[in-house]
Amino acid sequence: MQNVFTYLTIFFTAVIMQAQTDAAVSSTAAPTKYQQGMQKAFQLWQEDKSWEAANVFERIATAETDNWLPPYYAAQINIINGFSEKDGAKLKAQLDKAQNFINYATAISKDNPDLLVLQAQLYTVWIVFDGQQYGMTYSAKASELYNKALALAPNNPRMILAKAEWDMGGAKYFGQSVEPYCKDLQRAIELFATFKPEGEFYPRYGEERAKQIQAENCN
Amino acid sequence: MKNSIILFLFIFLPHLFFAQTIISGTVTDERNVPIPGANAYIEGSYDGSSTTESGMFSFETNETGTQTLTVSYVSFEAYKITTSVSEMKNLQITLREDVNSLETVTIAAGSFSAGDNSKISVLKPLDIVTTANALGDFVGALQTLPGTTTVAEDGRLFVRGGDANETQIFIDGIRVFTPYSPTTENIPTRGRYSPFLFDGITFSTGGYSAEYGQALSSVLLLNTIDEPDQQKTDVSIMSVGVGLGHTQKWSPSEPKAAWNKGSSLSLNVSYINLAPYIAILPDRNNWKRPFEIASGEAVFRQKIGDGLLKIYGAFDSTNFALTQEDINVPEGVALKLNNQNFYTNASYSQKLNHGWSIFGGGSYTYGNTKVGIAEANIKDLEKSAHLKLKLKKRFSNRFKLDFGAEQFITDFNEFYDEQNFTAKIGFNNNISALFSEGDIIFTRKVALKLGLRAEYSQLFDEVTVSPRISFAYKTGKSSQVSLAYGDFFQQPENGVLKFTNNLVAERSQHYIMNYQYAANNRIFRAEIYRKSYSNLVTFTEETPSVNSVFTNGGDGYAQGLDVFWRDNESIKNVDYWVSYSFLDTERKYKNYPIAAMPGFANTHNLSVVGKYWINDWKSQIGFSYQFGSGRFYTDLNRPGFLQEKTGTYNNVSLNWAYLLSQQKILYFSINNAFAFKNVNGYQYANTPDASGNFARRELLPAADQFFFVGFFWTISADGKDNQLDNL
Repeated sequence: MQNVFTYLTIFFTAVIMQAQTDAAVSSTAAPTKYQQGMQKAFQLWQEDKSWEAANVFERIATAETDNWLPPYYAAQINIINGFSEKDGAKLKAQLDKAQNFINYATAISKDNPDLLVLQAQLYTVWIVFDGQQYGMTYSAKASELYNKALALAPNNPRMILAKAEWDMGGAKYFGQSVEPYCKDLQRAIELFATFKPEGEFYPRYGEERAKQIQAENCN
Repeated sequence: MKNSIILFLFIFLPHLFFAQTIISGTVTDERNVPIPGANAYIEGSYDGSSTTESGMFSFETNETGTQTLTVSYVSFEAYKITTSVSEMKNLQITLREDVNSLETVTIAAGSFSAGDNSKISVLKPLDIVTTANALGDFVGALQTLPGTTTVAEDGRLFVRGGDANETQIFIDGIRVFTPYSPTTENIPTRGRYSPFLFDGITFSTGGYSAEYGQALSSVLLLNTIDEPDQQKTDVSIMSVGVGLGHTQKWSPSEPKAAWNKGSSLSLNVSYINLAPYIAILPDRNNWKRPFEIASGEAVFRQKIGDGLLKIYGAFDSTNFALTQEDINVPEGVALKLNNQNFYTNASYSQKLNHGWSIFGGGSYTYGNTKVGIAEANIKDLEKSAHLKLKLKKRFSNRFKLDFGAEQFITDFNEFYDEQNFTAKIGFNNNISALFSEGDIIFTRKVALKLGLRAEYSQLFDEVTVSPRISFAYKTGKSSQVSLAYGDFFQQPENGVLKFTNNLVAERSQHYIMNYQYAANNRIFRAEIYRKSYSNLVTFTEETPSVNSVFTNGGDGYAQGLDVFWRDNESIKNVDYWVSYSFLDTERKYKNYPIAAMPGFANTHNLSVVGKYWINDWKSQIGFSYQFGSGRFYTDLNRPGFLQEKTGTYNNVSLNWAYLLSQQKILYFSINNAFAFKNVNGYQYANTPDASGNFARRELLPAADQFFFVGFFWTISADGKDNQLDNL
């Protein structure tokens, strides 16, 4: 079953590239401590110092106790780096840490589709790590989360993309047509064109990836 | 003048006024090795830095007065110091390893875990159901583990020279009194409960926790799923019957009362009828009414605040009638059986403040069995309940304490009805117990578990006290040694208690030493043990009866070696495991004239299970081989008792699961593919023939082979899930 999910690793490399572009966000007024901190973190991330970036996000999280974004990014770094971790014990420690950040962020912002997708991505790390052991249980959990995220934000292109890509992976594996999901991708791309993040430093990745998948799979 | 100096200082040396303090230190682990990349910061501020390659950190802060400095790093416990910022210079900080880690030693003596939630799983959830010879029976899959004996005609768990009733089964910590469906003497029984309602299974072959009692040899702990993944419907069409399952989830985001954090219900019904199968492939039995089982199960889960309420209910009804071969009765013995069994179990668990958590639960079993043997009708009615309350206090990651109380209640009645004779016998068996257990993790390398259990039996007016202790030491990165000792008590079985209460509990003592190596998807375990039995019940007749004389004079021992190897790495797409058990046991109990190796035990057991995933075929091919050396029986034509051995037992089973599409699976299996003839034992005539010879008959399985074809279809919103994990 492992093979089903290996394609997902590619997806997450794309996520990093996208998430990093956030660092470019700037504001005209004098930057606040929060803006400085976040910009510094994104800059470190861009410089390939992702662990240092995670440390900065962790520090901001302790200072900004009602903002879900710092723990969201701290978790995301642990998760993305998890895809390349081959030592099960290290991976468990790392994902436990990510899970704590997700729990912390979820306590601040309930039913947040971006956090649901991040949780699904955490499960995906386990599936990629050992599909035979974790594939069955965690893929069902991940599916449920993608469905729920899309139900909460039906017009958010990132949720449409996440679910479409997940479904396409399954369809490909079983030799079925990915055609039904192409219209979802198309819709996501159209929505990305006018997509405005809810606020500064909010997640905004996905457009490039959607276009890439469309080019590879849909005519 | 003074003012202008201040102004000068203010402009050119502002840090004097804004009090920029430098915070610095070195971070190492317990072996003084520097930790690079750790996060050191003043909590609640933006000030901090990551440690360098040499574990050093240094940063400036504007914070003043008393602050908290936190140092955190993955897989270590976070370090916090609260003091004045001016004191935070050249700190020497030692991080303690987080013992809540995969690398921490686990107490492995005696127990096997299956499921995602355990650190080292010997079996994965899928295995319970994809093992070729198991045919979806969770007990069948466990019989491929070392420490079990293949008793093919019985189907129950026989552990380390123990009788089947020395193993107790618990669902969510609550005892199951009648876990197996009744069958004829030549068809193995199956566990009553469907494996896919469970997500964690722990099978302990000895030395288990003080929380569990009334089991001399082994406990099997099944945990129902806390929260199902998704809403779905499962349809099964099989050569032996049909099944339907449905899971419904109610989301917490729907407007409901504030306490409702979500609930779900899983229902599962099945109907098995062997009549069509036997019409095509007749077996050795002369059926009047082939096997028919109707069963239903339901699990309801409700989150209440931080707590979780689970209610589990299972009902099944078994019917069959046949004429059983018998060496003493040429025309055969008519046997008909009708069993109704109802089991319900409710539990509530909740995390409280300050590291406390509470668990409360209870179960009720109603078992009604009607057996007709020849002219006699026997009706057994068993009503049992179990109540349990447990509190847990987590003092830290390194020290936890459990304690609790439980009560077992059994009301057993038997009604015997023959033409000129009727009788009613029965008993009430109430047992109260207290238990407490402490878990101490000294370091990632050393862990200790100490437990004590006290039981009071009302029937015998007897108090028993059983200490339990286990210890684990990590010998290398991937290897560890565990030791365990325990005292175990169990009431004699119902078949004895219905005639007498002038007895005490049977007793066993376990000594276990275990070595475990686990790395890279490979697990090796070797375990040696010694178990001594005392106070075993003896009686004078062939089977217990009103006329029997009962004593607690029996005793015995079992000792041996269990070896397990699982490898999911060496061969691509192949996962296999090998179990071997060596057993040396003798006991004097029941009506044994001398101490002997009982007929359910044998010296060597080997089992090999393999699974091969063929990607291009979307198929999983399963293979299993079971070998058991001969078992003893008494040859009446020669002097002695349990002095002869049957031939060896061999069984190769194959299965093939083919994924038609994501949600449709076709499944085939053959049990005993090479049709080995396995003789389970012999039945001798009660009286010798004219030449003084006792005639005998082979005890053979109802059928040498069994074929199974099934089609499994799952309907879920995401169109992904399937029943591969239910096969």
